[in-house]
Amino acid sequence: MELANTLRQDGESRGGVLAHLERLETQVSKSHKKLEEPQNAQALEARIHELKRLRDKLRAEVKQRQARVKASTANVEPDQILEISEQEILERKQENMKAILQAYRFTGISGKLTSRGVSVCISTAFEGNLLDSYFVDLVMEKPLWIHHHSVPVFIPLEEISAKYLQTNTRHFLFVLWEYLNAYSGRKYQADRLQSDFAAFLVGPLQRNSLCNLLSFTYKVKPEGQSFPFCARLLYKDLTTTLPTDVTVTSQGTEALPSTWEEQRAAHENLFFTKPLHQVFTSFAKKGEKLDMSLVS
Amino acid sequence: MDETLAEFFRRTILKIPMTEMMTILKTWNFLSENQLQTVNFRQRKESIVQDLVLLCEENHASLNDAAHLDIIYTQFHRHQKIWDVFQMSKAPGDDIDLFDMEQFKSSFKKILQRALKNVTVSFRDAEENSVWIRIAWGTQYKKPNQYKPAYVVYYSQTPYAFTSSSRLKSNLPLLGQALTVASKHHQIVKMDLRSRYLDSLKAIVFKQYNQSFETHNCTTSLQEGSLGLDINMDSRIIHENKVEKERVQRVTQEIFGDYPQPRLEFAQYKLETKFKSDLNGGILAEREEPLRCLVKFSSPHLLEALKSLAPAGIADAPLSPLLTCIPNKGKNYFKIRDK
Repeated sequence: MELANTLRQDGESRGGVLAHLERLETQVSKSHKKLEEPQNAQALEARIHELKRLRDKLRAEVKQRQARVKASTANVEPDQILEISEQEILERKQENMKAILQAYRFTGISGKLTSRGVSVCISTAFEGNLLDSYFVDLVMEKPLWIHHHSVPVFIPLEEISAKYLQTNTRHFLFVLWEYLNAYSGRKYQADRLQSDFAAFLVGPLQRNSLCNLLSFTYKVKPEGQSFPFCARLLYKDLTTTLPTDVTVTSQGTEALPSTWEEQRAAHENLFFTKPLHQVFTSFAKKGEKLDMSLVS
Repeated sequence: MDETLAEFFRRTILKIPMTEMMTILKTWNFLSENQLQTVNFRQRKESIVQDLVLLCEENHASLNDAAHLDIIYTQFHRHQKIWDVFQMSKAPGDDIDLFDMEQFKSSFKKILQRALKNVTVSFRDAEENSVWIRIAWGTQYKKPNQYKPAYVVYYSQTPYAFTSSSRLKSNLPLLGQALTVASKHHQIVKMDLRSRYLDSLKAIVFKQYNQSFETHNCTTSLQEGSLGLDINMDSRIIHENKVEKERVQRVTQEIFGDYPQPRLEFAQYKLETKFKSDLNGGILAEREEPLRCLVKFSSPHLLEALKSLAPAGIADAPLSPLLTCIPNKGKNYFKIRDK
């Protein structure tokens, strides 16, 4: 290459000739390679065929051996029948155990071993209805710690774990279950009121994340002339599903009917003692009774 | 209608992209179906907006209605703002939080109005017992500036509040005080966490980003988790470094999990540490004062990018805990000093 450059000063024709010669040289070597390649390719192809043939032969041998093994085991029939029935028994037992483990969820607290500790599943329910489940992954180290969880942020998990997690893990789980179960129950009642008894409500149901303060205006009869009541329910104990404080008041400054004070006191008592949606179910039933009497 | 109010309506409606116009107007629910049908939505946008503003005037729209429309627009375009996170705490021994939304709103508004004569406060209830608050700041002598409002998103009975960074920083202490007192907390502190993605910030501080739990019914084997190394593929192909690749996958999965990562755009590290060097000497070595420098990682999706570093071969697994602790600690601003 450098030779070609130094010669260029002499005359372009000479540089041109050398370059031309180089080009011819590379062309020749390329064509040589091309002649070789098909030979190499042929050799490789032949090798591939050979290997494929060997593979097919080995596969056939393996199949033969498998067939022989099957044939030999087929001769051992009576023992096999016994084995099958034992296997069936074991399988049934296993299914049973699995079902029991699944059913453990209904106790409220169930757990499963993980690589680092225990994954606890807290299932909540209210009045026989299975509600949400929450998970807490515990890592078994000293000190015990929570890897991750699906507990809502407004449940005081940090407080509860600060009090009980290290000293009494069982109690920690129980307290957490109490909080979550009560929250689920309160939420269920509020949801039922909003969806099933919307006709009885005047305006929206005011609630908060923990469902521990409910404020709403309602009527005893969905349509028609019925005096509106304002109810305010406070659940100061986060482990219960019934309110701790109930106030029923009148909405405005209109004249109150004579029976109003009686009704008000009765309603307050109802809210204290019965779950929210059941109170409204009883209002609906009373309304039906009145209608029925009117009809007959 | 007041001219400034009409102008505010005009500019607010003009901001809305045509593709979202009907959805947002229907969510706002201030103009009736019949009224909306009288508008010709095939004209030029300016004409459409003019017609809509006239309809608002017909309905005697107030500043409050305009503020509601602004909140709805911002809810649809929350990524246009940068959100900060504040954490509140209660004094030990405080009563159970009986949060009353109406009390909270009235208390919050009163505190701001007592301090600043001129301030517009508007509320819109949102999902999961939360509220979006819009605050237009004024001063004792100036009317509120409706074009630079601050937003606060608060989920009831939680210690966290999300605020859109307002340029008017002087009002921040007042805002903090109003939030704390109205929500019956004791103290408020700004977290070192900031992003455009409000939902990701919520997922991080509410610890909702890792919700994959082994249920009692599922039996996923670890083999199914091995991504990309399909052992059944072709037995004639040998994977080099298979052991190492599997280790990297396993470590990455342990740290980052299987769930989609919350979305952040950056992580910033302020270093005030002494320079450490393997080589002897050098200008920077053996200095008493710490070196101050700022390292910033940016990405359209920072945590997914970090998760893919080790599998892509760009970094060693496990990654530095300074990077992997971001969602766990709820921080993407760090100050690192020598211990």
